[in-house]
Amino acid sequence: MSFREKIHWVAFVGLLAGFGWYFLSYPWETANTRMGMLTSVWMLFPATIIFLVPMIAGSAYFAIRAPKEANLREDEREKLIHLKGTHAAYYPLVLGVWANIFAMINGLIYGWSVNILMATLVLAELVRVGAQLYYYRRGY
Amino acid sequence: MARLPFDNDIKTLRFLSDEMTQGDLGDKVGVTRQTIAAIEQGKYSPSLEVAFRIARVFGKPLEEVFRWAGD
Repeated sequence: MSFREKIHWVAFVGLLAGFGWYFLSYPWETANTRMGMLTSVWMLFPATIIFLVPMIAGSAYFAIRAPKEANLREDEREKLIHLKGTHAAYYPLVLGVWANIFAMINGLIYGWSVNILMATLVLAELVRVGAQLYYYRRGY
Repeated sequence: MARLPFDNDIKTLRFLSDEMTQGDLGDKVGVTRQTIAAIEQGKYSPSLEVAFRIARVFGKPLEEVFRWAGD
């Protein structure tokens, strides 16, 4: 398994852990109030830490174990995998923006807007990283 | 996954070149070991540049490394 693939696995698990905690712990009954919006902003800090700490620790650990691989530039196959993953992530982004527009038209604002946009970003990231992991595993 | 319409002899050529590893070949060509493995297994179609670089490492013309096998 290449250095970049390992980092992708760490990012995937980190995203699931950090934002899984966020969405499961969020007080949804307050979502449509200004307080609900502020709560979601505050909850972003621990969610980001839960995501970032394993990312930094994992990158450092794998870079120390295989410094040569960590310093390698992305080759053409990896660039293609990168592009394909990013392309796949475009679709959940579009869906999420439409979902947010629909929600706002129907009076779901404040925390709902923030959370729908955040869920969109997280879903798009999961699709991007997941698709890249799939292509890494498949060979291309 | 659709199989590529060409085969290659990279594995044999590596063996004949003092049992060169995939990592060594990757270093010489400028790609990762995993990319060499994917090319060898016919999972990834390399760019023309990488194909030429691989052939140059073995001192062979391109058609002795990669062979068209499709229709």
